[in-house]
Amino acid sequence: MERPSMKLAGKVAWITGSGRGMGRAHAELLARYGADIIVHDVLQDEAAITAKSVEKLGRRVFVTHTDITDTAGIRAMVAEAESALGPIDILVNNAGIGQHLAIEDITLADFDRMFDIHVKGSFFCGQAVIPGMKERRRGKIVNISSIWGMNGANTASHYCAAKTAILGLTKAWAKELAPWNIHVNSVCPGGVITEMPIKVQGWDRIREKEQKVPLKRWAQPEEVSGAVAFLASAEADFITGQSISPNGGETIVGF
Amino acid sequence: MPLLEGKIALITGSGDGMGRAHAILMAERGADIVVSDIRAEPAQATAEEVRKRGRRVHVVIADMADVAQVKNMAEEGAARLGPIDILVNNAGYGQRLETMDITEEDFDRMFAVHVRGSFFAAQAVIPAMKERRRGKIINISSMWGMTGAPVASHYCAAKAALLGFTKAWAKELAPWNIHVNAVAPGGVRSGGPMKLDNSEILKAKEAKVPLKRYCEPVEIAYAVAYLASPESDFVTGQVISPNGGEVIVGY
Ligand SMILES: NC(=O)c1ccc[n+]([C@@H]2O[C@H](COP(=O)([O-])OP(=O)(O)OC[C@H]3O[C@@H](n4cnc5c(N)ncnc54)[C@H](O)[C@@H]3O)[C@@H](O)[C@H]2O)c1
Ligand SMILES: NC(=O)c1ccc[n+]([C@@H]2O[C@H](COP(=O)([O-])OP(=O)(O)OC[C@H]3O[C@@H](n4cnc5c(N)ncnc54)[C@H](O)[C@@H]3O)[C@@H](O)[C@H]2O)c1
Repeated sequence: MERPSMKLAGKVAWITGSGRGMGRAHAELLARYGADIIVHDVLQDEAAITAKSVEKLGRRVFVTHTDITDTAGIRAMVAEAESALGPIDILVNNAGIGQHLAIEDITLADFDRMFDIHVKGSFFCGQAVIPGMKERRRGKIVNISSIWGMNGANTASHYCAAKTAILGLTKAWAKELAPWNIHVNSVCPGGVITEMPIKVQGWDRIREKEQKVPLKRWAQPEEVSGAVAFLASAEADFITGQSISPNGGETIVGF
Repeated sequence: MPLLEGKIALITGSGDGMGRAHAILMAERGADIVVSDIRAEPAQATAEEVRKRGRRVHVVIADMADVAQVKNMAEEGAARLGPIDILVNNAGYGQRLETMDITEEDFDRMFAVHVRGSFFAAQAVIPAMKERRRGKIINISSMWGMTGAPVASHYCAAKAALLGFTKAWAKELAPWNIHVNAVAPGGVRSGGPMKLDNSEILKAKEAKVPLKRYCEPVEIAYAVAYLASPESDFVTGQVISPNGGEVIVGY
């Protein structure tokens, strides 16, 4: 599909967890719209595939395998990436893990890892780019939450709460960073067919769950990328503190 | 191929303000436009802008408060340009009235234009969308429909009702792959703020927005165009509120 414009031309976008799944789809769509990409994933082979595909689209790429929970490593990595590609204009906090566990089965280690990756990871990736965005008086942060962060689920309450915390960060950062024209929003995907649910829930459960979605299906990863690209672009310059939830009608919140 | 290539969009109230911006942006992205408004002259001016962008256009003058005219608008538009792929329920107006000053006439017209007009516009385009098993409906609500305001409670409630349609239609029409969403603008430099507020009031209102400004109509059009495009095919029943951070809702 050809794009109406190169609405991200000249921008540098850092997408965490972009080795596969939605992160890779975001990297590809943002590159198609003209952005250079920092591909960031602990999975090295997967990151290399994403990087190749970004390069094929004619964009520059910087690859890193820093674990997102390594805060000092992240800071150093950002300095290196910015000297290679230039200042980061867009941060997509997408890296994440899933688990399918009842309350009693969530260990302290599970709990800490869940919050470290999603919440602490997103927080300190934000902290690493915000000073530069403030200086340039512009920036876009897109935090990937989940419909489970909006509504909860009957499993994985540590995941649900971590995703809700990401909505909390989004709203607070939108307010704190508005004076510097930095826009912070969330995308809350519903069911998306990626390794995460395939591994955590399995195909039988996915097929069963698809029947409960009004559109009767889960999404392909790239169907979430349109929302991310929109929020990352100047087209969304009046949008901050908001969430877009591509979820097939599964979750319709009240106001 | 541009994202809306070959689509036909019916945009109510597209003679002025945001409606015109929606028409122009969608035309730039490849859509043909049914321009509809209660006022002929501005509607023709919008049509000219669409033509300049090389797209087909048809103008229907209709009062959204009149159900027969609304039905005719949709039928005539489809007859001239082809079946409607995208309906934007945008026509509307504000009134700066406190509850005790709202007459029965004010009340009825507010609901007739915003709520009944949008309902019957949708009813007129849905059968052909069902047949083709695809369609996009975008209802223009307002930040005030989400949060209320200290004036114009009839407007606030009418805009809230549009959110009600959005959520219900998203569910009812999902089996036919018809996607229904709302855009709830915050302060926009068009319509009410330009026509009803003076520059002092406007300045004071802008100072309260975290981003310290109201937006231009085209900034709302971008959200509408996203929801009208295949990039949002998994988005239904949702609300996008470009409001500069003024309203951040809870979940
Ligand atoms: N798939 C769904 O249905 C769904 C629904 C809602 C939200 N989400 C969220 O969307 C995001 C993307 O998920 P996905 O479905 O594409 O899953 P995925 O597993 O395919 O991708 C997640 C990526 O993050 C990387 N990652 C994990 N821990 C990391 C760490 N410590 N440091 C660096 N990278 C790390 C993984 O290696 C993986 O490549 C996640 O935040 C997930 O919680 C997914
Ligand atoms: N301007 C804002 O700050 C703001 C904020 C939130 C929501 N809105 C909503 O956005 C929509 C567009 O508003 P705008 O600011 O572009 O206003 P506008 O006055 O510039 O445009 C509205 C158009 O609708 C037309 N219209 C009004 N009544 C009609 C009727 N009965 N039948 C047919 N057409 C009719 C008008 O002639 C006008 O051309 C409205 O629904 C409005 O309530 C506006």
